[in-house]
Amino acid sequence: MSSVLIKNESRLGLKLVAPAVGIIGLLVIYPILFNIYLSFFDVQLNGTKTFVGMENYTDLLGNPRYYHSIGVSVIYLIGTVAGTTILGLAAAILMNQEFRFRNLARGLILLPYFAPVISVVFGWQFIFDPVNGIYNHVVVDVLHLTDTRENLIGNPDSALFVVIIFDIWKHFPIAYLLFLAKLQSVPKDLYEAAAIDGQNAWGRFWHVTLPELRFVIATVVLLRIIWNLNRFEDVYLLAPNVETLPIFTYYQAFAGIVDQGVAAAISVIQLLVLVGLIWLYVRKVLKW
Amino acid sequence: MKTKTSLFVAGTVLANGLLISQLAHAATVEFWTAQTQTDRLQNIELLASTFEALNDGVTVKVVAVDENEMATQMAAAVAAGTTPQLIEVNSEIIMALGEEGIVDTKTHQGVIQDIGKSRFHKGALTTLTSPSGEYYGLPYHGFIQGIWYRKDWFDEKGLAAPNTWENIEKAAKALTDKANNQYGILVGTKQDSYTEQVFTQLALSNNASQFDANGNLVFNSPATLETIEYYKELAKYNPPGPQNWRARDYYLQGKMGMFFYSTYIMDDLALAEVAKGSLSSANFKELSGGTFDPELVKNTEFAPIITHKSAASYGTLSGLVALKAKSAEDTKATKDFIEFMYDPASYITFLHMAPGGMNPMLKGIAEDPAYLEDPNGVFKLYGADKMKQIVSGFDNLRSFSVVEGKTFPASGAIFAKSVIPRMIYSVTIEGKDPQAALNDAEAEMKSIIGQ
Repeated sequence: MSSVLIKNESRLGLKLVAPAVGIIGLLVIYPILFNIYLSFFDVQLNGTKTFVGMENYTDLLGNPRYYHSIGVSVIYLIGTVAGTTILGLAAAILMNQEFRFRNLARGLILLPYFAPVISVVFGWQFIFDPVNGIYNHVVVDVLHLTDTRENLIGNPDSALFVVIIFDIWKHFPIAYLLFLAKLQSVPKDLYEAAAIDGQNAWGRFWHVTLPELRFVIATVVLLRIIWNLNRFEDVYLLAPNVETLPIFTYYQAFAGIVDQGVAAAISVIQLLVLVGLIWLYVRKVLKW
Repeated sequence: MKTKTSLFVAGTVLANGLLISQLAHAATVEFWTAQTQTDRLQNIELLASTFEALNDGVTVKVVAVDENEMATQMAAAVAAGTTPQLIEVNSEIIMALGEEGIVDTKTHQGVIQDIGKSRFHKGALTTLTSPSGEYYGLPYHGFIQGIWYRKDWFDEKGLAAPNTWENIEKAAKALTDKANNQYGILVGTKQDSYTEQVFTQLALSNNASQFDANGNLVFNSPATLETIEYYKELAKYNPPGPQNWRARDYYLQGKMGMFFYSTYIMDDLALAEVAKGSLSSANFKELSGGTFDPELVKNTEFAPIITHKSAASYGTLSGLVALKAKSAEDTKATKDFIEFMYDPASYITFLHMAPGGMNPMLKGIAEDPAYLEDPNGVFKLYGADKMKQIVSGFDNLRSFSVVEGKTFPASGAIFAKSVIPRMIYSVTIEGKDPQAALNDAEAEMKSIIGQ
C-alpha cells in the first residue's frame, strides 16, 4: 500500500472515531477531571469555592469509619459475588436438564430479578419485623426455638448477612441467565467423549462444563464486582446501618447539606480503587 | 406542499403556544412542601389554585419532598440551576440553608413588616433569626413533643405520670414483658432525626447543651454523658433492634406502654380510620393484637414537660423559606404567595391538615372560632382545656440552637449531619462506650463547624 493510501485511511479512521471520542470526552472525561478539581475545594451551595488543598483527603483518610466501611464492603463483595455465582451456576446446570415444566421453572427463577427493589425490600422488612413479623412469630411463638425476638435486619451483627443473602437472592438470576445461555451451546459430544473416557458426573462437570464456562464465569464475576462495589439502593433501603463504601459516601457527603468537595474526594479514591481492582483482575485472573 | 404547510402551521401554533403560555404565566412560584401525604398535598394544591385564581399570570407549582431528603434535593436543585422559589421545612434545615447563602432574607423582612413583627410568637421568630439579625425563614407551624402513655396501665400498676427521669424509667421497666411481646417505651435508636428529637428533650432537662452563650462548643460535658447513659437504660425497654417513630404502630396495637411523639399523633389516636391506615401489619390476621382500640384516646395521656435538673419542653417548628430567584417577578409572586398563606382563611385551612400537630405561629389564630372547628372534630374530642395544655408547651420552647436568645446556626449543620443520632445508635445498638461515643461525636461536631 502506498503511503498516501495509509495516510488517507488513518485520516478516515480518525474522522470515524471522532464523534465517539467527543461524546466520551464530554460525558466521561470532563466530569472525572472536574471531579478531581472539585476535590481540592470546600464548595458552598451557592457555588462559592474555597481552596483547601489536600484537606478533604486527609480528613477522609483519618476517619476510622472510612476503613470500617472498606472492611464491610470487602465482606459484602466476597459474599455476594461468590453467592450469586455459585447459586447461579447450580441453577443453570439444573435447568439445563430435561424435565417436565422446565420452561415454567426457568421463567419463575427470574422473578426476584424482575421485581422492583422497593417492594421486595418492604416485603423483607415485614417478614423480619421484630414485633409483628412472620419470622419471629414462627421462631418464637410457633416453634418455640427461642424466647427472645430478634431484629435480624436492624441488629448490626446480622444485618450484613441479611443484606448479603438479599443480594444473592435478588441477583443470582442474572448469573443464571448468562450461564444457561452458554451451557446450551456446549456440544453434547464433549460430554459423550468424557463419559467414554470413564468420567462420572463430577468429572464431566470439572473437565467439560467448567472450562467451557470459564469466560462467562469470569465476566459474571467482573460485572458483579463492578455493580456491587457501587451498589447503593438495596443496602440503603433494607438496612441503612450496614455501612458499605457507597453508604458511607452518602452519609459523609450527601446526607444533610451536600459537601461536594468531600464527595468528590471520596469518588476519586473509589475510582482509583475500582480501576486498580479491575486491572488486577483482568491482567492476573483472566490473563486477557 | 400540503405537508409543508401543515408543518408550518403546526410549528407556528406550537411556537405561539409556548410564547403565550410564557406570557400568561409571567411568574412562577415553585413551592416545595414537606407534606408528602396525598390528602395534605390535595389541600395545598387547593390553596395554590385559589391563589392562582386571585392572581392572574402566576403559576404555583407544588412539589412534595420528604423532610429527610429536603437538604439533599435542594443541593441538587441549586447545582442544576432549578432552585425552587419557596420551601416549607423544619427550622434546623432552614438554619443550615441560611448559612449557605441561598436564602432571600429581603423577602422575609418584607413579609414580617407587612404582617407586623409583634404578631409572630417571639420565640419562634428568634429560632429562625441569624446571628446578624436576618430572618432565614418565616415560622409557619410547629409541634410539641412529649411522652404519650397508657393511663389505664399506669393506674393499674400504680405508676406516676412519666414527667421525671425516675418516673419514666420505673414505668418503662414495669410495663416491659418481652416474653409476651410487650414493650415499655419507645425511644429513637435509628440514625435519624427522631432519635435526635427524643435525645434533645432529655438532654435539655438535664441542662446539657451544644453551645454556651459565647458560641463555644460545650457538648462534651458530664451532663451530656449522664443523658447518654440514661438513654441507654431506656433503650433496654424498646422493641428489639434500631427503632424510629414508625414503631408508634406498636402503641396503637396495644403492644407498648408509652412513646415519645409529637402532637401530630393526636388525629392518629382520635380517628379510627387514620389509625387503621397506619396499622398495615394488621394484614397478618393470625398475629395477636392487630385491631384498633377505640378507647385509646380516653386511655392516653400526654406528658409534654420532662423535668430532671430543669423543666424542658421540646418542639420543632417549620417555616417558609423564600430562595433567591433570578427574576423579580418570581420574587414578587413568592412574597404575595407567602402573605396569602398567612391570611387567616388559608392559614387555618393549612393548619387543619393536622389538628394539634400543626400549631399556628401567629398570635390570635388559635383563638379564632374557625380554627377550633376542625373538620374532623379533633379539637372537640380532646376538649379546649387539653388543647390549651398542649399549646402551653410553646411558651418554654427550648432547643440546642438557641442559647439565651442567641441563635447558633451551626447547630443546624450538626443536625443535618445526624451526629447525635449516630452517637446514640453506636451506644444503644452497637454497645459502644458512652464516653468514647461522646468524644467521637464532639470531634465530628468540631470538624463540621470548623473549630
